[in-house]
Amino acid sequence: MTATGTPTRPAPPAPAPGGRDGFSRLLRAEWTKLTSVRSTAIVLLFAVGLTIVVSLLNVNGMRVAVHGSGPQYLDRFHFVHRTLTGDGSITARVGSQADSEESAKAGVMIKASSTPGARYAALMLTPRHGVRWQVDFARPDTAGSSDGAPRWLRITRAGQLVTGAESTDGVTWTQVASGTLALPRSVEVGLFVTSPPRLKIVQHGHSVDAGPDETVGRATFDNVAARTGAGALAPGAWRDEDIGGLETRPGGPGLPDGFTPPVPGTSTEAAGVFTVTGSGDVRGVAPEENQGGADTVKNSLSGVEVGLIAIAVLGVLFATSEYRTGIIRTTFAANPRRVRVFTAKAAVVAAAAFGTGVLAAVIAFLVTQPTLHRNGFRPPGYPYRSLTEGPVLRAVVGTGLFLAVFALLSFGIGTILRRSAGAITLVLALILVPQLIAGNLSLAAAKLINRATPLAGLAIQQTREQFDTPIAPWPGFAVLCGWAAVALGLAFWLLRRRDA
Amino acid sequence: MTGVQRSGRRSDRQRADQRAGHQPADEPADGRRSDRQRAGRRRAGRERSDRQRAGGEWAGRRWPGPVVPGRLPRVLRAEWTKLRTVPANGWAVLAIVVLTWAVSVWTVGGMDPASCPAGRRCDLDTTLTALSGVYLGQVAVVLLSVLVVTAEYDTMMIRATLAATPNRAAVLAAKLAVVTAAVLPAAALSVLGPLLVGRLWLPGRGFTPAAGYPPMSLAQWPTGRAFLGSVLYLGLLALFSVGVAVTVRRSAAAISTMLGLLLVPAIIAGLMSDEHWRDRLQELAPMTAGLSIQATKHLDTLPIGPWAGLGVLAGYAAGAIVLGTVLFLRRDA
Repeated sequence: MTATGTPTRPAPPAPAPGGRDGFSRLLRAEWTKLTSVRSTAIVLLFAVGLTIVVSLLNVNGMRVAVHGSGPQYLDRFHFVHRTLTGDGSITARVGSQADSEESAKAGVMIKASSTPGARYAALMLTPRHGVRWQVDFARPDTAGSSDGAPRWLRITRAGQLVTGAESTDGVTWTQVASGTLALPRSVEVGLFVTSPPRLKIVQHGHSVDAGPDETVGRATFDNVAARTGAGALAPGAWRDEDIGGLETRPGGPGLPDGFTPPVPGTSTEAAGVFTVTGSGDVRGVAPEENQGGADTVKNSLSGVEVGLIAIAVLGVLFATSEYRTGIIRTTFAANPRRVRVFTAKAAVVAAAAFGTGVLAAVIAFLVTQPTLHRNGFRPPGYPYRSLTEGPVLRAVVGTGLFLAVFALLSFGIGTILRRSAGAITLVLALILVPQLIAGNLSLAAAKLINRATPLAGLAIQQTREQFDTPIAPWPGFAVLCGWAAVALGLAFWLLRRRDA
Repeated sequence: MTGVQRSGRRSDRQRADQRAGHQPADEPADGRRSDRQRAGRRRAGRERSDRQRAGGEWAGRRWPGPVVPGRLPRVLRAEWTKLRTVPANGWAVLAIVVLTWAVSVWTVGGMDPASCPAGRRCDLDTTLTALSGVYLGQVAVVLLSVLVVTAEYDTMMIRATLAATPNRAAVLAAKLAVVTAAVLPAAALSVLGPLLVGRLWLPGRGFTPAAGYPPMSLAQWPTGRAFLGSVLYLGLLALFSVGVAVTVRRSAAAISTMLGLLLVPAIIAGLMSDEHWRDRLQELAPMTAGLSIQATKHLDTLPIGPWAGLGVLAGYAAGAIVLGTVLFLRRDA
């Protein structure tokens, strides 16, 4: 094909000098084959249309579960306390603390009253985050030394000034932090223990529940002393109670089966050693924690799960149709370098799928956003998303990449099998059936399907991490690329070996 | 596909000879001889009695065409030979069984009794889960049933078939019959796997009668209905596929249409957030409606009842066959 045409005639697509860059002509030839078949346009339109319609169906009935801005703070713990009038201090040595959760808390507290949300200052030990100092749910809290129990803790109040100090021996004290706090004259001082719930995922028959699973913190205290400003022991007796009932619990009282329900805290004292248990958490809540968990961008683009079927069929047929008609022999006669021919074919079909994917994703995103806003997905819980945002851009372009690689996978399978019927069956069975079976499987097996099958590539549409995220965006995409690479590698190997 | 051609050619010739044999006025001796050479002893005997009857009735008159009772079995035999002699069909039948068994072993193995909270029944529908393999097995059913029709169109062998048997309705009926005859035993065999797996393996995995899971048995009605219904489901699916294949005529298009009709509504339903419309879609789509026959528990949560669901699939099959028959009778091949 290096012959040059007669100069006087309008030349056929510029014959390349030398054989090396005949590739661009190959690309052109394959592009013409793809675009001159009317069904190609129909299939691509189908892909775009399905993606948009199914995305709309997906977001149409979605509603924000909880309205409002969510809690500003968490305040639930077991409190062993007595009343202190005027200035004074609370001192205790935390003898031991159970590692019930990495942010479990055991320490001393001074609090305006025993009402949840009342002002407080607290100095505490945590199993993994050392000594922490909190004033009135302020974020972030202040870190003290990074050691755990046993440890002496003390909070001193002088008017509006509260000071936290820690010590290893009760003799040498190191100040952790101090702050001002508008406290009434009479405050509650004492020991507190709490332990935050863990996120747990439970499968019930064929449905999955995710929710908080209670943990119980346990700590022992000794050398407990509440003193007045003059240094005398404060009068009165220790009382203990659970601060913050079930109603302040993040998940609310309606707890599905399989989750540990909250248990009341306890407190016992023997020979000056207090053993205290409690559940909950004491901390301020960052605004982003109150954002809804739904990945609205992924939902906006979810229709591609159906649109890809059209792309898969296109990828297969672009490989097999020449075999069906026997045109493949003409193609190979015109260009005997088969792998180059098929590389050009693959590039063309991938490019078409990529463009289709990006187009479908952009339209689907823009079309679904108003519906999402109408259904309650708006600030503060859900900030508005924009196409220029990094993760959104990755999701949109990634949808194109996903379809491109998926087309390559289908093209590879089509080339291996050379028969439309078998290849389409195999590709559709490969993509659709695992999705359908996943619902009947255990969580672990369903997760495996979402990690190991070509549909793992859809992870590239994620814009936020969720509790059930099976795989991160790029690794998921890499799994799909692996499938495509294996299919194409085998296809090209067979292409060299077999007769056409 | 060479198998189809070869066998098709053989049976066409055979049928042409047979037809010749039916016209005693023309050349009875010739037809009789070639028939006898080809056919086995038993078959030859039956054909002879056919011919004697036909000869007696139609002697000296023009043969009116092949619409005669006793004609159908021969068309059937031809179609059966075509189906039987293509190796790919054997693999497809094997795939129906193997794929169903494999997925069932996997889903039963994936069922985790420990996911039930201690002391509670999580009420898993073990029968439904064990029968998950039908999702994959049905793909092989579709492939087999579609190709029985479209392979002849791909090679244009269909013209030879119709030249040999101009009664198109008989050809189509024969195709439906042989596909059903091939699929139903395979379907019965394929649900035997889930039954065995469920019966032998589940009790050891904690699904004991004490936990509310009596041993799986066909005698128990909802379970028996699920297994019997799954066989019927696959049989109806074969008929539906033949109807669609006759309508569409191209392998790739027919397979895509069938798998699209079956699987895509289920995927879309999974993505739909509006429960009302999701239920409507699931009760109208052939697979989601038809497979409701597999449910043995929580029937009130199904969008459509078990038998009604199978009825929906039967409706699709009937519609596709009627449409296919009308087109098959009217169109040029």
